[in-house]
Amino acid sequence: MPGYKSIDRIRTVTASTFDRLVLKGEGPIVVEFMSYGCAHCGVIEPDLQQVAEIVESTEKIFRVNIALDRELADLYEVQGTPTLIMFLNGAIVGRDEGPSPDVSNLLAVVKQPYES
Amino acid sequence: MQSKLQSTPILLFNDECGVCRSIASWVKKQAQAGSGATSIVVRPIGQDPDELLSLNQGLNIWDAYATIHLLMPDGSMKLGGEAVAEVLRHLPSTRWFAWTFAISVFGVRPFQAILNLAYAILADVRPVFGCESCGTPSPWVRPIRWIVEWVESLFGGIHHPSPSRHFTSLPARGRPPQTHHI
Repeated sequence: MPGYKSIDRIRTVTASTFDRLVLKGEGPIVVEFMSYGCAHCGVIEPDLQQVAEIVESTEKIFRVNIALDRELADLYEVQGTPTLIMFLNGAIVGRDEGPSPDVSNLLAVVKQPYES
Repeated sequence: MQSKLQSTPILLFNDECGVCRSIASWVKKQAQAGSGATSIVVRPIGQDPDELLSLNQGLNIWDAYATIHLLMPDGSMKLGGEAVAEVLRHLPSTRWFAWTFAISVFGVRPFQAILNLAYAILADVRPVFGCESCGTPSPWVRPIRWIVEWVESLFGGIHHPSPSRHFTSLPARGRPPQTHHI
């Protein structure tokens, strides 16, 4: 999976940093609930890195590793991985479970909730 | 390059996969048989990319989950069927036949090729036989999965449809993981 190895554009947030970086963060913030052992998460990873690069001037994309932070997954009723939850000023404005792994689809998923 | 001094190879396994856990457990048992000293260190991949990098600077956590990795004491890595062959060479109970994987005929290693194919098939069928996180099975495996699910349903097994075929359902706490249709 080339492309994601050089620069990781998706920052990991944990239970201790989630409040500060996501809920109190400014502007559109996308959180991917994932785990490294999830094959579907591995498949979307290069595309999501590309999307993070495309939208970096307007949106932030974070990841939550649910294998380490299961409480956050429970709090947001995450049923599986990958799940993308879109936040705006601390409120949830969108959600997608198991997005199709291609850049154009992922781009639509992370932008659409903020366009209305 | 392997940055920690290690005299025995390290086999990394996917601890979120039931099939992988079973195989790792077997290897661990075999590696400790005989003299008492282990011939291979068996450890889960885990969830910390930096920790893996400390084992080998060329090791990426996504790659580690995608295929079997054996970290050699000289800093090299063996992957897939090559890793399996190397593991078999190190186990006291299998090393008697593992030399066959090195046999070369006109530049082709026939037994290694068979092993590579066997590994590829096993990796593909893992979702059918107890890998909770291995993703969508290859197209050729899907009919097998449908048959397995159909047989399980005859005996009262319940399958919960997934919201997407690109999605791994989480096992509920206190309950075994759920399989789902694709």
